[in-house]
Amino acid sequence: MRYVIIGASAAGQAAAETLRQWDPQGSITVISDEAQPLYSRPLLTYLLSGEIRPEKVWLKGADYFQEWGFEARLGEEVVQVVPADREVRLASGRVCPYDRLLIASGARPKVPGIPGEDLEGVFTLRNLADWRRLESGLEGVRQVVVVGAGAVGLKTADALMRRGFEVTLLARGAQPLSRMLDATAAAMLMDAVATMGIDLRCHSWPVALKGDGGRVKKLILNSGEELPAQAVLFSVGVTANVDFLEGTGLGDPGGILVDRKLRSRDPRIFAAGDCCRPHHLLSPGQWPYHIWPAAVDQGRVAGANMGGGSRLYPGLLPQNSLSLRGFKIISGGLGPHDTKDCEIVAELDQSRGHYRRLAYREGRLVGLTLVGAVAHAGIYFQLMAQGLPAPEPVTPGLLWG
Amino acid sequence: MKTVIVRPERCVGCWQCRLACAVEHSQTKDLAAALGEGVRPRPRLRIYPGRQHLAFPNKCRHCEPAPCQAVCIAGAIHRTPRGTVDIDPGKCINCAMCAMACPFGVLTYASLYKAPDHRAVALKCDQCPEREAQGRVPACVEACKVGALTYGEWQETQEDKGRVLAQAVFASLQSPRETEPSLPDNLRVWRLLS
Ligand SMILES: Cc1cc2nc3c(=O)[nH]c(=O)nc-3n(C[C@H](O)[C@H](O)[C@H](O)COP(=O)(O)OP(=O)(O)OC[C@H]3O[C@@H](n4cnc5c(N)ncnc54)[C@H](O)[C@@H]3O)c2cc1C
Ligand code: SF4
Ligand code: SF4
Repeated sequence: MRYVIIGASAAGQAAAETLRQWDPQGSITVISDEAQPLYSRPLLTYLLSGEIRPEKVWLKGADYFQEWGFEARLGEEVVQVVPADREVRLASGRVCPYDRLLIASGARPKVPGIPGEDLEGVFTLRNLADWRRLESGLEGVRQVVVVGAGAVGLKTADALMRRGFEVTLLARGAQPLSRMLDATAAAMLMDAVATMGIDLRCHSWPVALKGDGGRVKKLILNSGEELPAQAVLFSVGVTANVDFLEGTGLGDPGGILVDRKLRSRDPRIFAAGDCCRPHHLLSPGQWPYHIWPAAVDQGRVAGANMGGGSRLYPGLLPQNSLSLRGFKIISGGLGPHDTKDCEIVAELDQSRGHYRRLAYREGRLVGLTLVGAVAHAGIYFQLMAQGLPAPEPVTPGLLWG
Repeated sequence: MKTVIVRPERCVGCWQCRLACAVEHSQTKDLAAALGEGVRPRPRLRIYPGRQHLAFPNKCRHCEPAPCQAVCIAGAIHRTPRGTVDIDPGKCINCAMCAMACPFGVLTYASLYKAPDHRAVALKCDQCPEREAQGRVPACVEACKVGALTYGEWQETQEDKGRVLAQAVFASLQSPRETEPSLPDNLRVWRLLS
């Protein structure tokens, strides 16, 4: 069997390793357009803040591919997948034939499409190359605007703040993380963000960037206000890396639609991680949700199925952990907009800065937000993931039988 | 692998184990001195109020495979040669991803004297490697006078128990009453250390 995997990050690596266990003899080719993959993408903001040194981002040693017996094509971009010929074509002209293909190509940052985006000093942060570009572009910069107050936007703003820049953070809605947090949790987050010195602007988005000599100088807000900025960083969501599927009907920028076995419409082609649109555990429908652990889980399922197994992906359980200088929020399951028909139990301990919001549906836990005290998150998520009845108390005497 | 075996039905909720654990993980390893350390030492196990029993202890099970290790985005969690699951304070970035994954809810996040700049990192039971090197049992086991914590070989799978334990901890989290130690003379010290 000839296996080809596009992408050597969370999903690609997990799949390749699982596949190796299922098929010790098969040829496994791993392709990445990054010359040095095998690092932790979530560490990029910690790298930016200076909390960790560059050598700490590597998750695997230099001889990883050799050790596992994978053929690595690094620094090579896939330009086309041809399902009819079962071939993957690379920018170099090389052709990789496959019997089974995994697409684990992840996603890339979107930009809003406003005038001035091509100016110098405009950035996104997705990979090590972006970080290097950002680092060299920050020289002489005093004011930075971060556009988008999602988890990555918040962490990026905090990182830049720690580096001593003046940071303005723009949120499109009335609060950051509006799909994850209710108003109470969001208010606590906004307090914490203000304490860090970040200038958070809600109901704000850019309509244009203005430059001088090719370099960005200011950002024009929807309100008409002009924010001086020598650097602008967009963190307004991502789009799946599926350009190489054009014409195949297998994927669109919303992601590759997969079945429970993580197979695309072509039975020889699987997809996992940020580039795919998986089933969800607690809600109908399929949509992408971009977290590292889900990419690893999906990679394992896809890898096993490519190697001849028949594992079903139980469905994605949204989970997010945000930790900003000790201020912690964990949330997951259904968000505040999807729990309108649920019974909500919420407790606020203002003096300690603790908040807990649990959403129940038909005797099962389906939504969680913890602020401040997050240690027990795993207990709640286990109940949620396994659909265990939540309200009935269990006596610990039964535990150890 | 040898591990700490928990017998919750014996636990009287005295918190001696928590105290011993905090002292063992202090810089000085001495009770009186530990109270004065700049970075407050933390216990790495918890006692929950039980419905049927007074209390029940909960700590890291050193799972195999370990869910916390699988989600750590910094590669800070690894398995030691002696079989325990360990967190490297030099690599941990205090992101709390592991809190979402641990089915036993045993992680805490606090400053550690061993971490660079004494920063906050993920803390959990490490099964007292320094004591083991001296042929001694873990501090909590030594402290437990009623046999709720013992040290020995443990083969049985933890998975089903994990599920029931999750429900028990969940139940106790719903209970309005806080765990109170039943030995009042200990009160002042554990308040300071916990
Ligand atoms: C700054 C930042 C912080 C984050 N923090 C967290 C966090 O704290 N917790 C969390 O759970 N998640 C976090 N995430 C999200 C997490 O990193 C992703 O969910 C995860 O990386 C997805 O893994 P993946 O393998 O699906 O895709 P990716 O990691 O995106 O990997 C895909 C790989 O495929 C390569 N590729 C793409 N197209 C091609 C092509 N045509 N040819 C060859 N190679 C190609 C890409 O270059 C890339 O190396 C963060 C993301 C970012 C950017
Ligand atoms: S921290 Fe939790 S998940 Fe990790 S080994 Fe210990 S009990 Fe298992
Ligand atoms: S808090 Fe530390 S140990 Fe836990 S997942 Fe994050 S880096 Fe890993």
